[in-house]
Amino acid sequence: MTQHLRIRSRAAAALATAALLAATGCASTSAGGDAAGGGGGGGGGTLVIGATGKLPNLDTVIGGAGFEGKRLLSFQIYEGLTRYELLKDTDKPPQVTGALAESWQVAPDKVTWTFALRKGVTFQDGTAFDADAVLFNLHRYLDKASPEYTDALGAAAKEYAGDIASYRKTDDTHVELVTSSPNGHFPEDLAHVLIASPTAVRKSGSANFSQHPVGTGPFAFASQTEGQQVDLVANKDYWRGAPRLERLVVKALPDPAARTAALRSGGANWIEYPNPDDLESLKADGAQVLSNSYDHLWYWILDTTKGPWADVRVRQAANYAIDRQAIADNLLHGTADPAYQAAPRATAAYDQGDDRYAHDPAKARQLLAEAGYPNGFATSVTVPTGGSGNLLPVPITEALQRDLAAVGIKVDIRTTDWTTLIGAEAKGEVALGSDAIAQSTTLFQSEALLPLFIGSKSPFWTGHYANAKVDELIATAAANPDQSARQAAYRTALRQVTEDAPWLFVVNDRNPRALAPSVHGLVQPQSWFLDLTTVSVTK
Amino acid sequence: MTRFLLRRLLLAVPTLLGVSAVVFATVALVPGDPVTAFLGPGAPAEARQALAERIGLDRPLPVRYLDWLGHALTGDLGTSTSTQRPVAALLLPALGQTLTLTAAAFALVLLGGVLLGTLGALRPHGWTRRLSGAAATLAVSAPQYSVALLLTAVLAVHWRLLPAGGTHDAFGPGGTGDLLRHLVLPATAAALVPLGLTAKVHRAALSGVLASDLADGLRARGLGRAAVLRHCAHNASPALLTIGGLQLAYLLEGVVFVETLYAWPGLGRLLYDALTARDLPLVQGGVLLVATAFVGVNLLVDAAHAAIDPRVRS
Repeated sequence: MTQHLRIRSRAAAALATAALLAATGCASTSAGGDAAGGGGGGGGGTLVIGATGKLPNLDTVIGGAGFEGKRLLSFQIYEGLTRYELLKDTDKPPQVTGALAESWQVAPDKVTWTFALRKGVTFQDGTAFDADAVLFNLHRYLDKASPEYTDALGAAAKEYAGDIASYRKTDDTHVELVTSSPNGHFPEDLAHVLIASPTAVRKSGSANFSQHPVGTGPFAFASQTEGQQVDLVANKDYWRGAPRLERLVVKALPDPAARTAALRSGGANWIEYPNPDDLESLKADGAQVLSNSYDHLWYWILDTTKGPWADVRVRQAANYAIDRQAIADNLLHGTADPAYQAAPRATAAYDQGDDRYAHDPAKARQLLAEAGYPNGFATSVTVPTGGSGNLLPVPITEALQRDLAAVGIKVDIRTTDWTTLIGAEAKGEVALGSDAIAQSTTLFQSEALLPLFIGSKSPFWTGHYANAKVDELIATAAANPDQSARQAAYRTALRQVTEDAPWLFVVNDRNPRALAPSVHGLVQPQSWFLDLTTVSVTK
Repeated sequence: MTRFLLRRLLLAVPTLLGVSAVVFATVALVPGDPVTAFLGPGAPAEARQALAERIGLDRPLPVRYLDWLGHALTGDLGTSTSTQRPVAALLLPALGQTLTLTAAAFALVLLGGVLLGTLGALRPHGWTRRLSGAAATLAVSAPQYSVALLLTAVLAVHWRLLPAGGTHDAFGPGGTGDLLRHLVLPATAAALVPLGLTAKVHRAALSGVLASDLADGLRARGLGRAAVLRHCAHNASPALLTIGGLQLAYLLEGVVFVETLYAWPGLGRLLYDALTARDLPLVQGGVLLVATAFVGVNLLVDAAHAAIDPRVRS
């Protein structure tokens, strides 16, 4: 069990990295649509997306400091053996389905997985996809002896492929992957292990592959202005049917005013995360504003070993003291939903019946009095100044400060930049030594990450929350290949977390984006990721 | 003249060394480390260790500095930690973009500054003087960020005359005309303050010369207004050169906000992103490049100064 936990937490750590970085405000990637999606092919115009952050290194899993490019670029160029189904059932969290693998099964030993590969798929350079291509990529990620291995690839691949102990092909269309311990959500992890064309990697050389990326995804790389703009064109031979768009251009527009101006002036026809204050006027100008819940939570991590926060009644009191609806409505203009519990709405662990913490200052005062703080107390919180996943961190924290002051909890707000904050967290420290951290996290749907958020084995365990029952539930669930059993266990675990209130639960973001009237066909799933195969632009 | 330039050139060496050492030390002291910024807080210890070793973070600061300096002298500025690309491959295109924007803005500064300054100096009591003075003051004191937003709101968003950002239209084929259109707003925004300052300095210098015995002497010899102005402008040019050189250097490194606001992929933005990602090699290489450009511009200004004013050479 110890071994198991260690390994899982390592892979999870890697994923968590991704999650936190995702929250820094990059765009995310979308897996393709469903087999019925896409289709049509051609004639669908040019989509120019204004992204909020930097664009990533385009070599498969490397990405770099930020996930925005991953949503909009890496997952459009590449696919893994599996992918998220993002076009169907968009009122529920997405399921994992086959991409480069058609089907898979796990042996009774729970660690040997056999994947049946999809036949007839070609990379964008015409290379045929087969078992050798899978092995080539796994060598490139995991085998230091491979001529294509680089440290950057190895480090990045650990996040998602870290627990692959061995791999081999059984024939041209089947590969067998063995995990170092039972991992029930292995197929989901593989959606992030992207497969590149071996021919293209050899041609450009591993180190230069980011300049000439080739995958099997719906869009093929055309050109880039490094870090600023990437041009993709439709992959006409995409196995799910050519995407409707002809071109997909992603531009880095970090300034919110510049994004809004780009949409209004016609320099872009789609912008990610418009400033909530601009939404009404954008709508008035005819823009479509789309949003959907996804697995995001904006919260404070309370240090459960420090002063009054060590008392569960105090933590619950703070959760009753805040007016989340007002923050969601007035500050964020409906781009977020109030979070009354630990599980974000768009996760299988969410249970509406457990929406526990309504705005109830009287109850908060009563709990504080019971805990021995009838006159409240003073505390502090470190807040990052930015990060698009962090929404409007300082204004939200100031609203919370007012609400908490109303029940006697006086909060000292200390601001710092996001890199400093997560740098300290990596060492298990709180930047500026506060009693709490304000931050946001996404990818709660990613089961591999759950232990990081709520388990006591998390590498960024700054809140020191430990509940043996929660640890046990998560560890046992992770090894279980039965998805519904896993989800039931997560629900129980998160219900316990909600009750223990190690965090101040605040809001769930809704991933807003604004589209020009000429953009059609976007399906917005309950996910950080997007399928762009159904999108088209009229001229 | 040659000796003068040689001395200046030699002086540039310790300046650049000093700048690079200070930048190296400062960036190393900033909280947050590149390993975390690249791998994220949850990365496995062994991956962190491997990356730290690969980028040399496990060695003492002075050793890292000397090593970096040695490589920098051969043109190898290392690998960017946040993008895993050679630093030079990132810096050079960005430098090109910044130089394009700077050149456009500087052309506006010189043109506008000389025009406004001359208008102000010609008739010391006329309405042109008041108008040009007001325009220069407005350019210097109007908050750049607000003016830039206002220009965008009116010219790009409302009237759709000009693009709101970027270097070319993502929907179209691009080309020089497209680039020029995209230059108008950012170059104007960047040029405002230096233009105002240049106008003020040039007006003062030209007024001085026009009121001097030299101007009286020229007029007494029967030269026309245009000829007098030409001679006086020549005598006022050292001041213009000095302020122009300063403004050019200011533009080179001062266009960060313009680059951000107009999504211009230049050095300023690259460095800002590099700093937030704690990308030490990129920050160090970028600052060295900017410092070199700064010193280079100063050197050019000194040379030009010496060329037109013999007194400087002695």
